[in-house]
Amino acid sequence: MDGAVLHLGSGKPTMTEDDALAAKGVPSAKGQARKPLIKLDKLSKHYGNHTVLDGIDLEVMPGEVLAIIGPSGSGKSTLLRCINYLEPPDGGHVSIGDISLNAAAPAGRSELSTLRRSVGMVFQSFNLFPHMTVLRNVSLAQERVLGRSRRSADERSMQLLKRVGLADKAEQYPGRCSGGQQQRIAIARALALDPDVMLFDEPTSALDPELGLEVLAVMRELAETGMTMIVVTHEMSFAENVSDTVMIMADGKIIEKGPSADVMRNPQQERTKRFLRAVHDR
Amino acid sequence: MSTADLFTILRGLPWTAALTLGAFLAGAVLGVPLVAARQSRILPLRFVAMVFIQIVRGIPPILWLFIIFFGLGMSVFPISPFNAALAGLGLIAAANMAEIYRGALASIHFGQWEASSALNLGRWYTLTDVVAPQAFRVALPSAASYLIGLMKETAVASTIGVSELAFQGNQLSQLTFRGLEVFALVGMFYILLSLPVAWLSRVADGYLQAKVAR
Repeated sequence: MDGAVLHLGSGKPTMTEDDALAAKGVPSAKGQARKPLIKLDKLSKHYGNHTVLDGIDLEVMPGEVLAIIGPSGSGKSTLLRCINYLEPPDGGHVSIGDISLNAAAPAGRSELSTLRRSVGMVFQSFNLFPHMTVLRNVSLAQERVLGRSRRSADERSMQLLKRVGLADKAEQYPGRCSGGQQQRIAIARALALDPDVMLFDEPTSALDPELGLEVLAVMRELAETGMTMIVVTHEMSFAENVSDTVMIMADGKIIEKGPSADVMRNPQQERTKRFLRAVHDR
Repeated sequence: MSTADLFTILRGLPWTAALTLGAFLAGAVLGVPLVAARQSRILPLRFVAMVFIQIVRGIPPILWLFIIFFGLGMSVFPISPFNAALAGLGLIAAANMAEIYRGALASIHFGQWEASSALNLGRWYTLTDVVAPQAFRVALPSAASYLIGLMKETAVASTIGVSELAFQGNQLSQLTFRGLEVFALVGMFYILLSLPVAWLSRVADGYLQAKVAR
């Protein structure tokens, strides 16, 4: 795919990942080679003798929504957490935009900070700051990291809270909000730093199905605006209907990856079939 | 017992109060760098802090006062009984407060650290904006009950001649031979001193809890 010049609307007989993105109207600079926003090179991670990530190669295009599915313990969450060095990988390379980190060498503080600046993250357990109002939760890092004034940070926060439908909760404490609301606040908090890519680590797993829906709705809206997203999830309908690409992981390896409709409806690998069958039989 | 006797005991009150507050403040302040060292990523520093805390807490308070007043005070540098007691109790308070802080820090969910890292807050702001305010709330009840414990502990200062409550009581009982009444009265003063602390701690905790209400 590297070096391929792709213009908007260029017709091809079969739908490739890039076409799917182009069809969505994801900006791809005309006449320029589309470069992946995120590139993982032989990324690996061990806990003692146990291999959690076994040489992961992955490219994510700007505007792409990638869903990572697979059984528990397959390394999905670890992969996500290695991308922003929440857990430092111990082998391979992580590149986001112009920043490239070599996992074999210890990461410098300023490199890490540049990397994290372009990555927003949403956690399974929300991790809002319970001692601050919702508004402060969203504004804090804008002031501390981006150096925005209180006023402009709050302004931006209110915009984002409106966008996730929670402007009326601004002065509440997170403890007074439902799980679904807390997760939407967490999404607003991550978006407030204007990241290039958003990572979602099982964002709906701690929520009952109804509350999960409101979070998924926000994520769907975000995907439609062209945000690059990597979503570790057990929500098969999200993987199938919202994401552009689906990747199946098992035992620290990528089993299969491709356009979401293909992988979800017509999986090629036996391991994928087994996993999807187990999910559907529930 | 005459009113004059009552005033004799009362004269000890400011000394007890000053010693308690002074030692507690010193402990609350010095406990911060101590817990920082105790939790440091630098192994030798962590080790030194751990040993220091163990030694300070392992030796009885009365012995510390003897070491400082009779030991250092008589041979190295002259020190007044009050200052010796303040130094000794402040030292002990620092070690104990460091342990209270450590427990409070440990109670903060690791997700709070992770979210702070993901938001790129950096170590300083993670501490001052996210972790410390939450840890403070957790530490408050333990710190308040330690403050009350410390207040009672100041009675050991009477052994090196600080004229605080217990000292005054002892003097008076030897003068009047009415130990029971005198020491009952002294005990009452200690209780009276502890009441506002317990009350304040409860009010503060209630306020903070209502604010955060998980």
